[in-house]
Amino acid sequence: MPELVLSHITRRFSGHTAVDDLSLTVRDGEFVCLLGPSGCGKTTTLRIIAGFERADAGRLTLDGTDITHAPPEKRDIGLVFQSYALFPHKTVAENIGFGLKMRRRPRAEIARAVEEALALVRLDGLGGRYPRALSGGQQQRVALARALAIRPRLLLMDEPLSNLDAQLREEMRVEIRRIQQQLGITAILVTHDQSEALAMADRVAVMAHGRLQQMAEPAAIYEAPATAFVGGFIGQVNTLEGQVEQAGAEGAVLSLPGGTRLAGQGEGLSAGSAARALVKQERLTLSRTEPAGLPNRFPCRVTERTYLGGSIAYRCEAANLSLTALLPNHPLFERFSPGDEGWIGFSAADCAIFPC
Amino acid sequence: MKQLCKAAGGLYLALLYLFVAGPLLFVIATSFNPATSFPAPFEGLTLSWYTAILARPEFLSGAGVSALVAALASALAVMVAFLAAYALSRPGGAGGRGAMATLLASPLLVPQVVLSLAMLQLASAWGVGTGFWGLVAAHAVYVMPFALRLVLTGLARFDFAVEEACRSLGGGWWATWREVTLPLLRPSLVAGFTFCFILSFVNLPLSLFLTSPSTATLPIVMFAYIESRIDPMIAAVASVIVLVAGLATILLDRYLHVRLVD
Repeated sequence: MPELVLSHITRRFSGHTAVDDLSLTVRDGEFVCLLGPSGCGKTTTLRIIAGFERADAGRLTLDGTDITHAPPEKRDIGLVFQSYALFPHKTVAENIGFGLKMRRRPRAEIARAVEEALALVRLDGLGGRYPRALSGGQQQRVALARALAIRPRLLLMDEPLSNLDAQLREEMRVEIRRIQQQLGITAILVTHDQSEALAMADRVAVMAHGRLQQMAEPAAIYEAPATAFVGGFIGQVNTLEGQVEQAGAEGAVLSLPGGTRLAGQGEGLSAGSAARALVKQERLTLSRTEPAGLPNRFPCRVTERTYLGGSIAYRCEAANLSLTALLPNHPLFERFSPGDEGWIGFSAADCAIFPC
Repeated sequence: MKQLCKAAGGLYLALLYLFVAGPLLFVIATSFNPATSFPAPFEGLTLSWYTAILARPEFLSGAGVSALVAALASALAVMVAFLAAYALSRPGGAGGRGAMATLLASPLLVPQVVLSLAMLQLASAWGVGTGFWGLVAAHAVYVMPFALRLVLTGLARFDFAVEEACRSLGGGWWATWREVTLPLLRPSLVAGFTFCFILSFVNLPLSLFLTSPSTATLPIVMFAYIESRIDPMIAAVASVIVLVAGLATILLDRYLHVRLVD
């Protein structure tokens, strides 16, 4: 049974359309990440689901009931804010129990639910503290516990990890995912961080310019992008523009300015039209000798090397094109220095061509 | 050179404090001087001017009227200021906020005597007496911009996301104000009320045209008194006012961490 359904949701602000005819379904117990650059409409979408922003058009149903016009306090949706928005004048326990207090539950039941929620987010014993006495990571956990204590039908999180430092962020990714799985709760997380989305979500919904670009499992988003936007936005990508020379089910050929030809794959291409090839940086090989098996291979010169720790990025200049290859920092992979000559190559399957 | 600069700075500050507080200290000192004229050389120490206040009922009733007018006008002003500041500060509110804030602060630009006279004319044009409530209204109009400024400052540091957090947890708008917004703005509201109260309590020109014998405020009584004679009793009255206002300011700073004076 589908849990949350957005159909044809549109929201216009003076002059621009923040959310443009957005339709998507979040299944029961599913964890969906709304991913996109800032200004893509993901936060507006979240606020429409929460009830803080109205939709100019479209319908919103939760569990089969229409909530398009329901006020936020009647939706039973838990919300975790980017700033956490904890009540600074209330203790951690009062924060967590607040939703149940608003529901006029008996005191004993609230106390029990607060204890449970504290245990769930591993903050046992901190109920008497005030939010300002907690670290950022702990405040984050309180915000999560507060949203979950009302046993919401849906959990929404707006960039919940963006105020944490890198290490804590990784930890909270796992933690939020664990809690979501443990409760089996339907959840939507808004983020601009693609690795966060890929790591946490059952499905990722990529948005751009207020529109849904693609909604799929993380691997499909990464490896089979549906649009040039998704292909270019996810991962580190080489972008090459040219003209379609040949298109068909068995593959396409893109001709670049200067005459270089690329073998790739793509749909909806017609010979003679402009197109864009996207090649993920880690799918390129860099070698001293010619890589015989690869249809796209070019002699090149390394011009720049960036040491990234786990990997090394090499900027390479071939006849008419400039490409970046990301190689693992591993003894099995040859090291290059700026000025070195070599061959750069990639398969046709790794060269995704989109009309533009 | 650096020390010289520091010394010059210190001297400047000392002179500034003396300039601000000097007259006040002089008034307080005078209130303990037994000499019957004012000003006069010091002849000793006495509390007789303070006991003399008690013998004049119009000062006590004036203080009562002033306190009541100040309390009502300040409550009204803070209420209006909160609603206006809230509307001006809310994210996603209407445009023209700057112009609106200026308009709301405009009573500050009108001379208070004119405001008082205008209130009297308006009341007579409507064929009603100004009475006690006219006095309260004039004071409320005059002190409201001060409360507005304080509440706006408080709201500038207010994270409106906590209101949304409250609503997402099931609180309606009234519960949200009661549980979250008003408690978090309490320092600004209390400071605004106190500030307004003091301003109203000591205000003379606003009351000039609007008081009757039964609604004479303390400043009006003081004004009437010094028209006929000047003796240190008036200094004693002033000292009591300064003491009460000073105490209120210190208590606010101590227990509510609200700064009226920086």
